[in-house]
Amino acid sequence: MSIEPFRRLVKLVARAFYDEEIPAKGPNRSKSDKSDNKGIAVVVLDALTRRQWVKEEDLAKKLRLHPKQLRRTLRVLEEEMLIIREHRKETVKGAKVYNAAVAAVSDGTTGEKEGEEKLKLHTHSYCCLDYAQVYDIVRYRIHRARKKIKDELEDRNAIQEYVCPNAGCGRRYSALDATRLINQLTELFHCENCDAELVEEADKFAVPAPEGDGEDNARRRRREKLRELLEKLDKQLQPLHIQLERVKALVPPDFGTLVQWEKRAISSVRAGGESNEDAAKAAHGQGSTGPPMPYMGETKVDVVMAGAAKNEGKDETAAGPTKVLPPWMIREGMNLNAKQRGEALEGEWNEDNGGTSNADIKPAEEDKEAMQKKLQEEYVRAYYAAILASQQNASQPPKSENNEMSYVEKDVSTEAAAEVSAGVVVKDEGEDDDDVEWEDAPAAEVPIAGSGHDENLEDTEGAPVEGQGDYAGEADEDDIEWE
Amino acid sequence: MFFHIYLDRNLQLHPRHFGPHLRDKLIAKLIQDVEGTCSGRHGFVVAVTAVETIGSGLIRDGTGFVTFPVKYQCVVFRPFKGEILESVVTMVNKMGFFAEAGPVQIFVSNHLIPDDMAFQSDDVPNYKTSDGSVRIQKDSEVRLKIVGTRVDATEIFCIGTIKDDFLGLIGDPGGAT
Repeated sequence: MSIEPFRRLVKLVARAFYDEEIPAKGPNRSKSDKSDNKGIAVVVLDALTRRQWVKEEDLAKKLRLHPKQLRRTLRVLEEEMLIIREHRKETVKGAKVYNAAVAAVSDGTTGEKEGEEKLKLHTHSYCCLDYAQVYDIVRYRIHRARKKIKDELEDRNAIQEYVCPNAGCGRRYSALDATRLINQLTELFHCENCDAELVEEADKFAVPAPEGDGEDNARRRRREKLRELLEKLDKQLQPLHIQLERVKALVPPDFGTLVQWEKRAISSVRAGGESNEDAAKAAHGQGSTGPPMPYMGETKVDVVMAGAAKNEGKDETAAGPTKVLPPWMIREGMNLNAKQRGEALEGEWNEDNGGTSNADIKPAEEDKEAMQKKLQEEYVRAYYAAILASQQNASQPPKSENNEMSYVEKDVSTEAAAEVSAGVVVKDEGEDDDDVEWEDAPAAEVPIAGSGHDENLEDTEGAPVEGQGDYAGEADEDDIEWE
Repeated sequence: MFFHIYLDRNLQLHPRHFGPHLRDKLIAKLIQDVEGTCSGRHGFVVAVTAVETIGSGLIRDGTGFVTFPVKYQCVVFRPFKGEILESVVTMVNKMGFFAEAGPVQIFVSNHLIPDDMAFQSDDVPNYKTSDGSVRIQKDSEVRLKIVGTRVDATEIFCIGTIKDDFLGLIGDPGGAT
């Protein structure tokens, strides 16, 4: 957008010229002496670059400034021709128009002010940056500053000025008026208006007075000082110069008067019914006749970037499902296809570790409860699978021994043996049993370490025991011992 | 700067001058009317040097005066910025001093007086150097440079400086330079 260079220009100007405390001009000088308004102008100008027309109350609220303080700053800025202000009496309706316009231009999050503004007629002030004028003013200011120093450097400002010291009069005269000003009695200059004796105006730069080492020397030193000053000025204003150059070819954004702006903002939204930014753009487009090439170029760049961003987004969303979905898909498939329960379980468990984490990150909004259930089931399954795995691992080596020894020493057989048997049984028996067990598990899951667990084990044993009564008997005995 | 230029003027002559010396009377009147006047456009008319043509007169209705269009040659003095002039000091005060170069008045403010010269408010106010070698007071002759002019329709006023090389006092009051 072509507004961006201008924004930058305003920001640079703010920092270059309004960084320090703003000296209040005119009659209200004494009042503002106490207040510390250092840097406020910078803040205000920055804030204004992000807005178009803005109600001063709103601005004060946003900036957390006292309205009076803000107004004082704005008045100074208005005098400096940087901003334009408009005051108007308005009722609620007027405020509504403004609010509507604001909503049209910004993202529509401005607070509704209708409640506060009752039927009374209030005077509201609005302010806006006048970019075109800012550009001119800044150029003029720099030109004047340079000219002043240069003139002094070259002794060109030969024409002395005189000021009437009378506060109420304050007339200024130049040396060219000398014949009219001269008073024949006193042979001094007197004001034509109030007859006060004029004083020379001392607006020269305060170059320290040299200590009498010859006129030439003093003058040379003065000159050096001035040259330094000029160099410094040029150097420090360099960024500003660059920005001014850049802005030169662009059409400054013109928001028009407050009323025009409101109308345009609202109408553009109504007509377009498009996104807010587009509306603002359209408003600008109407304001300026045929945009120059740089404008187009920049817009194009913007569009390209937006497109790139969108593509990235698409890539993400495209990649997302492939990442997220597989665990669920795979698990469903495995439940159906798995032949080897143990292996299937192990695989599933591993998968689940990855899958659950993904599920946590992207919970499906439609059925959270179902998700919860699924998660619980999974957890239980994973838990059992883990137990089984550990049992198998722990018991596999001594299994053969146990088979022989169990006959010999029945009493000695410990919980390990019992678990081994249970594990063996579980593993040896068909998938159907397992499935049954798993489905029961959630209900009985809570007292894991308690009798419920053992009963489960017993049940599983109970079914296949027939041929191996010894095993079962041992298991039972052991269980009792366990507790 | 001086210029020798042609000028035109319509002269009105009273009928009593009509006679054998009409031409002389006309020229005398021209010189009386024109010399010493100042126009912003041409400067001060210093002297009429020749009368080129005198057109046929036109009798004004009701008065009897006759208007003659006269074309004449004259010397004019027009001060310019940057010009060097020699002038006589007419008045000195703490703001600077006034000087005259012929018909033109020039003011030199104290900023444009060399820094080593200071104002002395004696019975004869003057500017003088600390060693007293140079002293500018009323009737001193001063060479100055014009740095600014104000040209009205009938008036020219100048600002001068003596703060430059070869400028300043060139003759004491009454003394031969």
